[in-house]
Amino acid sequence: MEESTFSIEINGKTFKAKPGQSILDVAKEQGVFIPSICYHPSLGTIQTCDTCYVNVGGELVRSCTTKAVDGMVVDSLSPLVQEAQHEAIDRILKNHELYCTVCDNNNGNCTIHNTVELMEVEHQKYPFKAKPYPPDNSHPFYRYEPDQCILCGRCVEACQDLQVNETLTIDWSREAPRVIWDNDVPIDQSSCVSCGHCVSVCPCNALMEKSMLGNAGYLTNIPPKILAPMIDLTKEVEPGYREIFAVSEVESAMRKARIKRTKTVCTYCGVGCSFEVWTKDREILKIQTHAEAPVNGVSTCVKGKWGWDFVNSEERLTKPLIRKGDEFVESTWEEALNLVAEKLGTIKETYGPDSIGYIASSKCSNEENYLFQKFARAVMGTNNVDNCSRYCQSPATTGLMRTVGLGGDSGTIEDIMASELIIVVGANPAESHPVLATRIKRAHKLHGQKLIVVDLREHELAQRADFLVHPKPSTDLIWLSAVTKYILDQGWEDKEFLKNRVNGFDSYVASLEKYTLPYAAEKTGLTEDELIKLATMIHEAKSACILWAMGVTQHKGATDTSTAISNLLLITGNYGRTGTGAYPLRGHNNVQGACDFGTMPAWMPGYEPVQDKEVRERYEKAWGVKLPEEPGMDNHHMVEGMDKGKLKALYLFGEDMSLVDANSNHVNAAFERLEFFVVQDVFFSKTAQFADVVLPAAPSLEKDGTFTNTERRIQRFHKVFEPLGDSKPDWEIFQEVANRLGANWNYKHPSEIMAESASLAPLFAGVSYERLEEWNSQVWPVLKDGTSTPLLYKNRFALPDGKARLVPVEWTPPFVAGEEFDLHLNNGRLLEHFHEGNMTYRSEGLTHKVPHPWLEVSLQLAKERNLEDGALVELTSPYGQVQVRVIVTDRVKGNELYLTMNTREDTEAVNRLTSSYHDTITHTPAFKEMGVKMEVIESKGESPLPRHNHRFGNRVPQLSVRVEDKWRRSDFTPIPELIQLRGDEYGESNHAN
Amino acid sequence: MARAITQIKKEVPNQELEQSQAVSEIIQELAANKEAILQTINIIKGLHETKILEAVTSMIEQRTEIGAIAIQQINQPSMHNVIKNGMSAFSFLGSLQPEQLNTLLDGLGNGVKNISTPEQDAEKQSLWKLRKRLGSPEVRVAMTTMFDFMDGMGEVLLRNKQEKS
Repeated sequence: MEESTFSIEINGKTFKAKPGQSILDVAKEQGVFIPSICYHPSLGTIQTCDTCYVNVGGELVRSCTTKAVDGMVVDSLSPLVQEAQHEAIDRILKNHELYCTVCDNNNGNCTIHNTVELMEVEHQKYPFKAKPYPPDNSHPFYRYEPDQCILCGRCVEACQDLQVNETLTIDWSREAPRVIWDNDVPIDQSSCVSCGHCVSVCPCNALMEKSMLGNAGYLTNIPPKILAPMIDLTKEVEPGYREIFAVSEVESAMRKARIKRTKTVCTYCGVGCSFEVWTKDREILKIQTHAEAPVNGVSTCVKGKWGWDFVNSEERLTKPLIRKGDEFVESTWEEALNLVAEKLGTIKETYGPDSIGYIASSKCSNEENYLFQKFARAVMGTNNVDNCSRYCQSPATTGLMRTVGLGGDSGTIEDIMASELIIVVGANPAESHPVLATRIKRAHKLHGQKLIVVDLREHELAQRADFLVHPKPSTDLIWLSAVTKYILDQGWEDKEFLKNRVNGFDSYVASLEKYTLPYAAEKTGLTEDELIKLATMIHEAKSACILWAMGVTQHKGATDTSTAISNLLLITGNYGRTGTGAYPLRGHNNVQGACDFGTMPAWMPGYEPVQDKEVRERYEKAWGVKLPEEPGMDNHHMVEGMDKGKLKALYLFGEDMSLVDANSNHVNAAFERLEFFVVQDVFFSKTAQFADVVLPAAPSLEKDGTFTNTERRIQRFHKVFEPLGDSKPDWEIFQEVANRLGANWNYKHPSEIMAESASLAPLFAGVSYERLEEWNSQVWPVLKDGTSTPLLYKNRFALPDGKARLVPVEWTPPFVAGEEFDLHLNNGRLLEHFHEGNMTYRSEGLTHKVPHPWLEVSLQLAKERNLEDGALVELTSPYGQVQVRVIVTDRVKGNELYLTMNTREDTEAVNRLTSSYHDTITHTPAFKEMGVKMEVIESKGESPLPRHNHRFGNRVPQLSVRVEDKWRRSDFTPIPELIQLRGDEYGESNHAN
Repeated sequence: MARAITQIKKEVPNQELEQSQAVSEIIQELAANKEAILQTINIIKGLHETKILEAVTSMIEQRTEIGAIAIQQINQPSMHNVIKNGMSAFSFLGSLQPEQLNTLLDGLGNGVKNISTPEQDAEKQSLWKLRKRLGSPEVRVAMTTMFDFMDGMGEVLLRNKQEKS
């Protein structure tokens, strides 16, 4: 349906407008200049800068808040309107010294600079006045300079209402207002999560990345002793700003020659934020966000904004290593590749193709995953290829494929924002998918979205939830089924939807028989009232999304629980409409893409079964080989295979399996039994220690490719740097190994790999690099003509007859370690580090914020065992033990512990404790099912989490920047009061009505 | 059987070899640019003998101090005037019409050419003769132009006076 449009007139010209647009929106869209400084497309109106005044009907109004209506006549050019706008900019320049040529923000995108220039301001009415506050340099990544701050409040709006961390406010009550953090503490000691929103939206240099300071410009590193008189001199002789700007623009143009701006896609989680990396040679100046980025706009999290130092780390692998005796020896590529080819070739000859396993990486590109599975299948003749989704999301994928047909989120972040009800089960998006969480927090805070959180821990979203429920561990399937049954019992199901679009209703309903409220209450520990409230909230919402992650999938009954989630959505008709659907939140940047492009033992790219003869024939014809017919080993099988001596060799890239697989003692013992082990990585990981050959790979910033995020969105990333030292992009390494084994490949660029894949897998038929240029992205399934499918199942489900399937499931009781292991061990990621921290610990600032892992202990247990922050405890499970320091917190309750996974030390790694028990269907380890016993080693000690971590801050929630407080100040005169319109400007145009 | 190991034997770059490679590269370049290098050496020698090199070295070492002094010197009212006047001169030039200025300058040039003769010949002219010359078309055009000029200048002077009062 096309949106209705109408016309408005600006300065005598007619422009098309859409309902809901402000005058400023219309002007911006049509390229008419109306000054605006506080307005930002991602933030909306803030009303602090007053530069956007226009004359409508003889009145001065802010064009950012005044909605366009049909026939409206707007004047932004008459002398009095200009006077009003100039009064506003003069007030701003009182707070901001224009020394553009020596300012690090002089990069062509400074809002103040550009506005002053376009307004043709020649002189300022009010002289600049410094504020009585020193700059705040306390934070490791950014600084606040009050003297340059114009108090526009963009940073506050971003922090309060976009990121919704609620740290920044402007204290309008002081004589000289300024931005403050929490209750006016140094930035580093506040609740600031270092997401960088405030810095990204600052219209000038008041908030800046420290990496830019004194570094971006040619003249910006001048010592203060010279700089201050230089600025004075410029102002003293200033002929007008036009001449000054001429100089600053020359300088800005010169910067373009040495500052390179490259679009990339973040590698720190499955959300898929895209942004520019600004670099000077190999130095990263900053991450620059753009409102056009399809998923995140101007948003980032602490890792995406600041966590890229690892790329230039001294510890990067830069040469191939070969195990010789008890040490690794650096070698040439020639020698290493020949050895890999010879060994793999011999083992394949001797023991058969299935004696070798291939483990792919969810951190690497779609093209690399495609090529790796092609190598395993077409060159090496085996389906023994898998990726780390086996550790996290395979149960969710399987649960969805069973019920609705496709293993991916059913909508996009737009649907999550538009939904009336978000249910988060066993996921901690505020830390693991930070930017996605901001959208939920924003919808919840501003637009009345309801939020239910089901979790063991009271994490940030749980604290914000309308309804928080805490079931017993591993009982999600039971409450899900009981709630579904209750909904059916009340007759609240979506009968029309079920009749037309869903199969298996009767047998499914019958299977729910035992999930009565009393039974569920007994098993889950929830009250019947809580269960009824859950059902009622779902019933009352016109649209609902369920988001889940490892809290569901890392259990013995994980696939069935994921299925139960999908069943509930089907019963309530929450599929195929805006604001509905199932969202298994992918943990790593390319978990989705690795699976999509075929590094799975049973699936060819695009989720076509290897057992399907027609599918195989299509690939056999294209690749000119005979393909293996039976599904191969998954990660779990491979570890078992090594242990039993069936798997002789392993080729693994971009995965620290030794730390991240469950029951790591067992996994490491299995590695030791391999005849030949190739590890390909950016760093010398724990896993690499077991290798025979270590190949140095290049990270995303050093190559081209695409990633697919949790939304199924394919996005292009571009090479920023040349590979460090002798390291190479993974796809080039695969090609060289494959060619030594007779493949005869000749890919010159990843775009050729994507083109091949798109020609073979119907799911990606229309995917191409041409269609992914700039900020463009494609959401699969992509039709031949390039059409994306952001929302799945609008008309049909991806099952043979187009109908979804309700699948009856049974509850699987969790693994119980035994009575002596009396504490439940939960575990997972945290905001500041990626996984075990192989990359993020190379950043000094991130390490400053979080130097160690920690064990969260409840207030109750701390009292019982006499523990305080910093106490050292030993945890023992039937599989191993670790020693970690304690943080006492109300985030966990009773006998439930939470151990963060940000460590590379064996003695602290949670997977020393976990077991090899796994989901019965997908073999995903039951990481979340473990009992431990605790022994206190030191009852006191240094806290593992420093006081300058955001978790100790004190948030100050409010709506926006509270501009009303500014307007109430005695020294504030509204501009329309100051400048009375005479009334003769209006009506000068000759419009018809 | 491959146990975990962490020992990595790195190829330590051979310092002597690297150095001798660098030296031979430098010598090659020197030989290829013999003339230019020898001339440069002469220049440096001169700079050294006149103690200029020494002064420059000290200036570089003390660049912040000297920069501060320099900027302070520039940051004085008289220098402000110089810079302002310089910029005014530029904008004055910008305000002139090139054709007019061209005619005026041509006239000025021709006039100057004319005056060079009487100095050498030094023929004294009577007042009568001068008055008679006022009647010539050339002098009359020049005089009209001068009066027009004074009109325009006076206009601005008067306006400024009124604005100030």
